[in-house]
Amino acid sequence: MRFKKQIFGFMDMLRFKKLVPKRREHLANGSSAPLPENYKVNILAKKLHPGSMKVELTDIREVSSGIKEFVFKRLDENSFPFFRAGQYVSVSCKIGESFVSRPYSIASSPRDALNNRLAIAVEDAGFFSGYMNREAKIGDRFDMTEPSGAFHYEKLRDKKHIACVAGGSGITPFISMAKSMAEKDEEYEMTLFYGARDEAHLAYKSELDILSATGLKVIYVLSDEKNEKYEHGFITAALLEKYVDIQNVTFFLCGPKNMYAFIQKELSPYNLPVKAIRKDASSCGDRDIENPAVFSLKVHIRDDIRTVNAYENETLLTALERAGISVPNKCRAGGCGYCHSKLIKGEFYVADGRDGRREADKKFGFIHPCVTYPSSDIEIDIPVTE
Amino acid sequence: MKNCAKKVYDAVVIGAGNGGLVAAVRLLQAGCSCLLLEKHNLPGGFATSFRRGRFEFEASLHELNDFGSVEEPGDIRILFRDLGIENKIDWIKIPEAYHLITTDKDYDCEMPFGIEAFTAKMEQYVPGSRKSITEFFELCDEVRAAQTYSSSVNGNTDAAYMKEHFPNFIKAGSYSVNEVLEALKIPKRAKDILNAYWCYLGVDCDRMSFLHYGSMVIRYITRDAWMPKMKSHEISLALDERIRELGGDIWYHSEAEKILTNDKNEIIGVRLADGREIETHHIIANCSPHIVFGKMLDKKSVPEQVVRATNARIFAGRGYTLFLGLNKTAEELGIKSHNYFIYDTADTVKQYDLMRKIKTNHVQATVCLNNAYPECSPPGTCMMYFTTMFMSDEWGNIPETEYFKTKDIVAEDMINVFERETGCKIRESIEEIATASPVTYARYCGHPEGVIYGYETADWDSLMPRMMMIQEDAAMFPGLRFAGGFAMRSSGYSSAYVSGDLSGRQTVGDIKRGGK
Repeated sequence: MRFKKQIFGFMDMLRFKKLVPKRREHLANGSSAPLPENYKVNILAKKLHPGSMKVELTDIREVSSGIKEFVFKRLDENSFPFFRAGQYVSVSCKIGESFVSRPYSIASSPRDALNNRLAIAVEDAGFFSGYMNREAKIGDRFDMTEPSGAFHYEKLRDKKHIACVAGGSGITPFISMAKSMAEKDEEYEMTLFYGARDEAHLAYKSELDILSATGLKVIYVLSDEKNEKYEHGFITAALLEKYVDIQNVTFFLCGPKNMYAFIQKELSPYNLPVKAIRKDASSCGDRDIENPAVFSLKVHIRDDIRTVNAYENETLLTALERAGISVPNKCRAGGCGYCHSKLIKGEFYVADGRDGRREADKKFGFIHPCVTYPSSDIEIDIPVTE
Repeated sequence: MKNCAKKVYDAVVIGAGNGGLVAAVRLLQAGCSCLLLEKHNLPGGFATSFRRGRFEFEASLHELNDFGSVEEPGDIRILFRDLGIENKIDWIKIPEAYHLITTDKDYDCEMPFGIEAFTAKMEQYVPGSRKSITEFFELCDEVRAAQTYSSSVNGNTDAAYMKEHFPNFIKAGSYSVNEVLEALKIPKRAKDILNAYWCYLGVDCDRMSFLHYGSMVIRYITRDAWMPKMKSHEISLALDERIRELGGDIWYHSEAEKILTNDKNEIIGVRLADGREIETHHIIANCSPHIVFGKMLDKKSVPEQVVRATNARIFAGRGYTLFLGLNKTAEELGIKSHNYFIYDTADTVKQYDLMRKIKTNHVQATVCLNNAYPECSPPGTCMMYFTTMFMSDEWGNIPETEYFKTKDIVAEDMINVFERETGCKIRESIEEIATASPVTYARYCGHPEGVIYGYETADWDSLMPRMMMIQEDAAMFPGLRFAGGFAMRSSGYSSAYVSGDLSGRQTVGDIKRGGK
């Protein structure tokens, strides 16, 4: 073929020759004003996703027998980011020689965050939570990750009516979700089933009573105490049916593992689709192993190499933190991928049901140290902490 | 330098996106030492995947252009072969080219791969188009050959050779897509169908250079497009592994904050956000010149010429993607195609204008990956991703309290448009949902305004003069070259890989010449 745009083909040639001089001229004639230092979309991104935040404890109060609420303010910026009710933050600090961090659901509302107030509730039940409950005091400083997690309402996915089931300290995300509904940032109708041992163990009771006046429906279910104000026993299918249309709600569950198993069993006759039941993740603890072996854990962080001990029954993340090495982590449940690290050599075991790795991660030997236990001496390459 | 890394590197690559990863491999293959820095905890930039419930979503790749089969490899397969990663990845072939729908009811066309099949299908849709479409592909073929030649000589083309071997390429070279299609006397309807790929380059066809578009279209149509089985994350991890095999270092969670220079404005190193410094004299930046010259380098070390050249350039599209995991199969839902282009209008100039505003933008390039690879999601499910672009920074005006709602508004519109235009009802089957807005892209990749397409390859800044000025552009700031979507080859997977290849190899040359 012979392509010709203009009547005289050589004009086309001439135009082609001018491509470079034309671009050269445009580049030379750009503005000499200083290049922008900021871009508005990036400013919004930084507001919503600040990464690691420096925070200070401003208030502590007991919200039920064995559960305390901790309120923080952010030190490095004006306020916390707006978030989705149901999300969590991970709080970390140094305790003795160890670096420790734990994820906690946010109990305060997204609007509170804009007033630089963010609250979590911690049950006195483990190493870090024990420290928080007994030793932390107002004025103490911590590092906190930005709000994260997919345990929140999705308008385009979920039913308009949500049935939330809380056990024990699992009430926290629902406090935030109920407040966010009251503040009109969320559009759902919410029925909350709250299971506890007895009245003394109902956390945030007064807040929930106030929220009940503005549209939240709460059903308290006590297992160990008979009280005519409340339902008695466990949160069974029959009890759920009494208050909601099971086929027409989306369930949000937050509580201990055995509660999830119980509810799942109760709901199984209804053949609900997978999407109908959403569960909050819980952090991964030690494995149950008698006389656990101790292995050598060699860790590369940039151009630094260290070797520490790792017990067979503890996650690689716990072993590193125990040795005073700070490691990126958020969910501690295998799902968020923030601790994504390269296995160099060694054998390992991933906690049951917690392998949140991508397909290619498995193929190319990447692991999530927060849910990975050593089964031999092991060598890994991890990113530095932010 | 203080708090300095133990090693001095021949080159530091900033950003482990597609361009940076390939550049690092090229440096290492040539025997240079190299440190790759990445602010995120994963390689790949946009080339990644993420999990939600039972689903692992592809973050961005629709299909890898110019890949081709083992026997008839395209340029990208050949590049991957050279890099030593072709066989680290399991590949699947994409079945058909595209399904074009315009919501003004003018078009609903399914186009196949292969020039013969494509031309025949076009003749069926637009009788009488065969001759001009055949000529179109002939012209495209010459474009492709000329570009291969241009790449092989690193942009230093010999004018006489070009004139002799690629005369039509030169004659058509200064015109826009629409100008050339008009000269070829392609019927209007055929033109509209042919222009469907335009959103992959993000410039309307009045302003997009024909060379750029033609070279992309022929690569799609003649060399089948492919995908890695384990999503684009598989390519990114294969490159990560290759870099480690070749003795390169990769530091994740390590944001390069400053490029350090001496009193002669020569590059002497990089400083990370946490204060750590690394000594080097050569940098390949897999990020935007706006960030490098506006933030990473001290103002006083950036010559006015560079400031002017950077200010002159125009940001291309800002990205938005909706990801859906559905609890029914594609077949059950009636989703037949792998790749849909749904526009309001086939008039690309009008469409471009509608894409400036959240309210008026209803464009979507939508993929149902199961129609290329049924096992990409669990049995009984399928997954889809819907992508669009915004041609303004409206997302930056949204108050943070309205942000999540705005993401939902766009997502809901995409679902409604898809359901209305294809008749496939998907909303009730949504098991997992995620959305990425320009804010998300700005967050993860740091690009200004959440741009996913680099600088617009429109008018004077089109692909050809960029390629012809590679050395001239680089000479403005010695020791620094660019890779990725903001570099000479512009955006898209294949282009980003090629830019890494070019800048990687050229930096090897710089290092050898510079002797440092």
